[in-house]
Amino acid sequence: MSSHSNPSSSATPLDLSKWRPLPMRLMVVGGVLALIGLLKPDLREQFAFSWLLSFMFFLSLCMGGWFLVLLHHLFDASWSVPIRRVNENLACQVRWLIPLFLPIALFAPKMYPWMGLSLNHTPDHALHAKESLFNIPMFYLVSIGCFFVWWFFTTKLRFWSLEQDRTGSAECTHRMRKLSYFGIFSFAITVTLAVIMWMKSLQHQWFSTMYAVYFFAGSVWLTIATVYLITLLLKRQGPLREVMQETQFYFLGSLLFAFTVFYAYIHFSQYFIIWNANIPEETFWYVLREKGSWWDIGMIIIFGHFFLPFLVLLRIDVKLSWLMIPVGIWAWLMHFIDLSFNIMPIIHPDGFVLHWLDLACFAFIGGFMVQRYLKDYAAYPPYPQKDPRFSETMGIHVPPVSSREAASASGGAK
Amino acid sequence: MSESSKLYGLIAEFDTPAALMHAAEKVRDSGFRKWDVFTPFPVHGMDKAMGMRNSKVGWFSFIGGATGYLTGMLMIWWMNAVDYAIPVGGKPMFSPHGAFPPSYELTILFGAFGAILGMLFLNRLPRLHHPLLKHKRFALATHDRFFIVIETSDPKFSGTDTRKLLESTGSKHIEGVED
Repeated sequence: MSSHSNPSSSATPLDLSKWRPLPMRLMVVGGVLALIGLLKPDLREQFAFSWLLSFMFFLSLCMGGWFLVLLHHLFDASWSVPIRRVNENLACQVRWLIPLFLPIALFAPKMYPWMGLSLNHTPDHALHAKESLFNIPMFYLVSIGCFFVWWFFTTKLRFWSLEQDRTGSAECTHRMRKLSYFGIFSFAITVTLAVIMWMKSLQHQWFSTMYAVYFFAGSVWLTIATVYLITLLLKRQGPLREVMQETQFYFLGSLLFAFTVFYAYIHFSQYFIIWNANIPEETFWYVLREKGSWWDIGMIIIFGHFFLPFLVLLRIDVKLSWLMIPVGIWAWLMHFIDLSFNIMPIIHPDGFVLHWLDLACFAFIGGFMVQRYLKDYAAYPPYPQKDPRFSETMGIHVPPVSSREAASASGGAK
Repeated sequence: MSESSKLYGLIAEFDTPAALMHAAEKVRDSGFRKWDVFTPFPVHGMDKAMGMRNSKVGWFSFIGGATGYLTGMLMIWWMNAVDYAIPVGGKPMFSPHGAFPPSYELTILFGAFGAILGMLFLNRLPRLHHPLLKHKRFALATHDRFFIVIETSDPKFSGTDTRKLLESTGSKHIEGVED
């Protein structure tokens, strides 16, 4: 017999009613504390960076969700049909990040040194070479453009998916596939631009062609872990009980494993090329991140973001075991630390500081985003209802209409 | 079949994968260990129906990979830091960063060696002959028939009882296979 089974497969639903008000409470408490940070002038800088950190964290989830939807359509995959609605809902939350971008738009001239430089016309060769991108109108144009593209693709993809729930028409699948052709290019371009503008340009002198891929790898890693947890919970609670089978969890686990390696590969490559070339214009970024306790954070990323999940996920049976729950929670912590490593050394060059505003902004944005997600979850069916691939996903053979017609025309079934 | 030859096992033939699957479950539940199924194409869920556990090949590739990684690191450390040290760009004589890419490549290479050699070892391959290849109908396993073979070397094997068990699974052809 199979020696392992999914922890949720036979259990009764959990009583989650006491957790219901949690997102709201997080939002209120986090919001009040964040407001203090916003209003007190000496905390304003910390507030802006903490906000950026949490904003990028939840952007990771939206982008990861969008990427998984694109991947599903581009590969014409059948295994991922049951998780597609979860991904679509995650991706669609990106529209709520538009109002949440306002503090960053507002404080950008204070956060991004190149904005100040270009305001004061200070000569800076690094900036001069990158001026076509790093100028103030471009910053806002790129931001608006990215949000528009994200909003367009995520809502369109979910629109046709929901349309298919109603009609069951294969035309919807074709529409989504066409959207995904353009979507994957738009994904690559917009994520690159956004992450260069919002995160990398905190130190505009730096060069790294890996940076956007690095953010992408970490984001998708986080998202896969999150989707695993969400679908596991929904299987236990009932809505996905019939459709989330071992295959789905096993493939999600394998994808998480793949992205654990992919992230490490990308991050190591970025570090290695800079280390090997040893050019001050590039090394300064890592020199800053090897000072004080940032060194230890770097070690936590190597061992906690890569080695630990790598070794845990290596065994084939772990991908269906209870260990995936701590791994999923761990992924949240690691991605948070990873983003801190990128963003926070600018204002805390001496070492890692977990400021209460980090937690406040995270609680506020997190509480808000979870609420928006739950609202969408409640509004639509939990998985695609009439996807033409569904019987294939469930391992049921349905003969194509043409062969059934042929059989009846030739005098019934053999 | 000559009287003097030893019996290798009993072979039972089935027409459909479903029949084979149910038969495999029965054989599994009877506690046999030295038996196998043969199908023209992979049948999903057969590993479970047979009660097979994870393959041990993973351990061979893991050990291969670890050996490859250590070989790479040791080789580069020996060559660049001990045996013939050349200072480059003021960098340390040995650094795990610099040695990582070749070590990583060797991890993959030795891991693949471990996997393929481990697979051959666990399957007792290569071998020049197998008793089943003499069996006339067995060639159909590459065409449209499905087979279960229970070996006589299985501790639970008994000529009459095992034949009865296979009969109870609905097989139409049950024959002995000479060794």
